[in-house]
Amino acid sequence: MRIGIGPSAAYDDVPYTRGGTVERSEVGALVRSAVDGDAAAWKAIVEGLGPLVWSVVRAHRLSDADAHEVYQTVWFRFAQHLGRIREPEKTGSWLASTARHECLKVHRNARRLMLTDDPQLLDRVSEDGAPEQSLLEAEEAAAQSERVRRLWQEFEELGERCRQLLRVLIASPPPSYQEVSAALDIAVGSIGPLRQRCLRRLRARLEARGSM
Amino acid sequence: MNDTGDTGDGTGFDGPPGDHGADFGDTDFDGADFDDGLLEEELRQAAGVLDPLPSALLQIAVDAYALHDLDARVAELTFDSLVDGIPVRGATDAPRMLTFSAGEVTLDVEVGPQGLLGQVLPPQSARIEVLGGPQTAATLTADDMGRFTADTPLSGPFALRLRAGGDVVVTEWLRA
Repeated sequence: MRIGIGPSAAYDDVPYTRGGTVERSEVGALVRSAVDGDAAAWKAIVEGLGPLVWSVVRAHRLSDADAHEVYQTVWFRFAQHLGRIREPEKTGSWLASTARHECLKVHRNARRLMLTDDPQLLDRVSEDGAPEQSLLEAEEAAAQSERVRRLWQEFEELGERCRQLLRVLIASPPPSYQEVSAALDIAVGSIGPLRQRCLRRLRARLEARGSM
Repeated sequence: MNDTGDTGDGTGFDGPPGDHGADFGDTDFDGADFDDGLLEEELRQAAGVLDPLPSALLQIAVDAYALHDLDARVAELTFDSLVDGIPVRGATDAPRMLTFSAGEVTLDVEVGPQGLLGQVLPPQSARIEVLGGPQTAATLTADDMGRFTADTPLSGPFALRLRAGGDVVVTEWLRA
């Protein structure tokens, strides 16, 4: 559905201006419309920022069940606070920061309770990936799929800091640095240099494996 | 490997953190920067295939609009033993203690494996709904002393909606 056709169109026109600023500039207005009862505006917010929330949750290595519950909790709380958000244009940061806090609570709780499911998801393929599935099964896509798999594997094996930062950065549409900062509690100014370092480390790993 | 200028082997970028600023505008740097963008984009597409936002979750968030309730006051979480609590030695499976406040109304809640134990302050009888999402709710009653219990263990996101007098108070959504 949103994969395959959707994702590139949204930011093709803004290749390296970080932060999907085109989409984000509308968030404030959408929030105000949603407060006034516009369900379509709400849906647009969810579609625009849902992937960011998902990325933040995924960056924190939760089990699937925890990830799903944190994701829902964040949106329920946002719906509840809708009319009280002080700076609607910073909704992405609000969501990212709320997701982060809930993720940290899961980690605290996990120290008390034994985890039953495995948070490592290296070879997991999405459950509802039907459209991608048929694509991946196609003969000519096999090589590409292998490349994607290897890329993802190298990414998963990066150091924890890099993996976490990149997982948030690769939300689609791309988050702003303010949102990344809220998601990971790191200074906006350090994101660019860290991003550069992490991407180059990833490239070095791929090259070492002969995957580039 | 074929381009020693930007293999980005990690060690090469461990120099003075600010030094790349001086390179800005240099063609090598621009090229590397461009490559970074491409790799990030490739990774973004990989995430779209291998770890996308599940469509069911997207729909739940869309449906969550129904939880938007302008008439209710939000009782904010003011204490959570998971965050603010001092761990008691030997009490590793102690129930989670939560306190929510909205103006003069306070709700103390204990969440344990057996269910829920709560206290409305100031003490008063009240109707309490345990919300689990936009659709689900179970109803409880607080007695004259403001006490209430639920025998079903909470799981997943939850909020309590309290009706006392003409007032509606909803606790901040939390994950049990």
